[in-house]
Amino acid sequence: MTCADVERVLPELIDGAPDGALRTDFEIHLKACSACSDLVSDLKLIASEARQLAATEEPASRVWVRIAAELRAEGLVHDQASEQDSWRTRPVLVPASPQSRWSAWWLVPVAAALMAAASYVVSHKSVPQVARQQAPVPSVTSPTTATPAANAPSVPAPSPQQLAQRKSPKPIEVTGPAVGSVVEPEPSAEDQQFLSEVSTRAPSMRATYENQLRAVNADILETQAYVDRNPGDVDARQHLMDAYQQKALLYQIALDRIQ
Amino acid sequence: MTDPKQAITEAEAIEQAKQGHEAAFEVLYHLHKRRVYSLCLRMVSNPAQAEDLAQEAFLQLFRKIGTFRGESAFSTWLHRMTVNVVLMQLRKKGLPVVSLEETLEADDEAPRKEFGTKDVKLTGSIDRLQLQRAIDRLPPGYKTVFVLHDVEGFEHNEIAQIVGCSIGNSKSQLHKARLKLRDYLKFMRAEKAKTG
Repeated sequence: MTCADVERVLPELIDGAPDGALRTDFEIHLKACSACSDLVSDLKLIASEARQLAATEEPASRVWVRIAAELRAEGLVHDQASEQDSWRTRPVLVPASPQSRWSAWWLVPVAAALMAAASYVVSHKSVPQVARQQAPVPSVTSPTTATPAANAPSVPAPSPQQLAQRKSPKPIEVTGPAVGSVVEPEPSAEDQQFLSEVSTRAPSMRATYENQLRAVNADILETQAYVDRNPGDVDARQHLMDAYQQKALLYQIALDRIQ
Repeated sequence: MTDPKQAITEAEAIEQAKQGHEAAFEVLYHLHKRRVYSLCLRMVSNPAQAEDLAQEAFLQLFRKIGTFRGESAFSTWLHRMTVNVVLMQLRKKGLPVVSLEETLEADDEAPRKEFGTKDVKLTGSIDRLQLQRAIDRLPPGYKTVFVLHDVEGFEHNEIAQIVGCSIGNSKSQLHKARLKLRDYLKFMRAEKAKTG
């Protein structure tokens, strides 16, 4: 076998083609020819090093959020739940990856408070009792999913005293039996601070986040009203938890974008 | 909330996705997101752009999932779509992209050595950053086959289905890509040695 022959058969043999006379001649030539031997060695080195570049990164969690939103917008996904329980058809976003980072410190206790309030409401209290107490006591049962706030490093959960000092949303005024008949609350202090931050860092996005916040707050209120009327409905309580997660996720997405 | 990734198999997820179940789409996304994103990232070397391309590839897949009949592996179908999305994006950017078919049908010559470097062996390990830079310089056709085979680990028969060529053509283009990378890496190493 000559060097020209090696160059011709190399694409077939370099990655371990079956043994045979051709491979035997090939191996014999490599032992005798340092140029061809070096060439094969280099090409194998490139191939093995290239493998190290594979699949070490993951796309950010926002990619799925966008895909899911687009699927819903195009009507490609649907929920099988009853039309009467409108809260069941509200889309549920996937919680952010626990590896997501929090770089705006003031949003971390807010998200933690949201999750603590959600866990407390879902596990123990109905809404009117919560409203009377002004702030929930976070005797939290173990959440069933990892949450961004729960996994945020080095941030202590707010104490009951801290939660009590936060301004609670206006107590819910349920005006009738129908789902959805709730008064839209004034934005909480945290929501106002969040929107103020967005206005400062990314004013063009304020309207978008304000609308999204309004929608998720309305979802929370509507679901809270349903839970109030049906305190034994486990699915409803879970959906309320999901709604709070959605709000926490909205904060996180905004963080990612406005930094 | 139940972790959707653990709920069902890929085949079940495909059938449920055809019926419009969001959780099923999510299962399919999480099963393939890393490989799709990695492929996009190696092709465009820009994380934000790679995310956009991965998003578009999944959306195209999900829009057409009703037409998937199982003639090929689902991952092969997905990666074919991904390659098409990437190449379409490169064309939109006005880059001098030769169509994949044209590249793969080029005459069977070894790539011209541009730098006239002495035939010295690449000793030791290769700097990963230099390797990525060298890959970035490859023409799209070579880059696609190289990334699919050497980076992502696809076999030639799978690559042939993804890019629409013969197995022999896939092997030939891979070989040319590696030869070109060898030249680039030697040139980079020589340049680095000059500047100290």
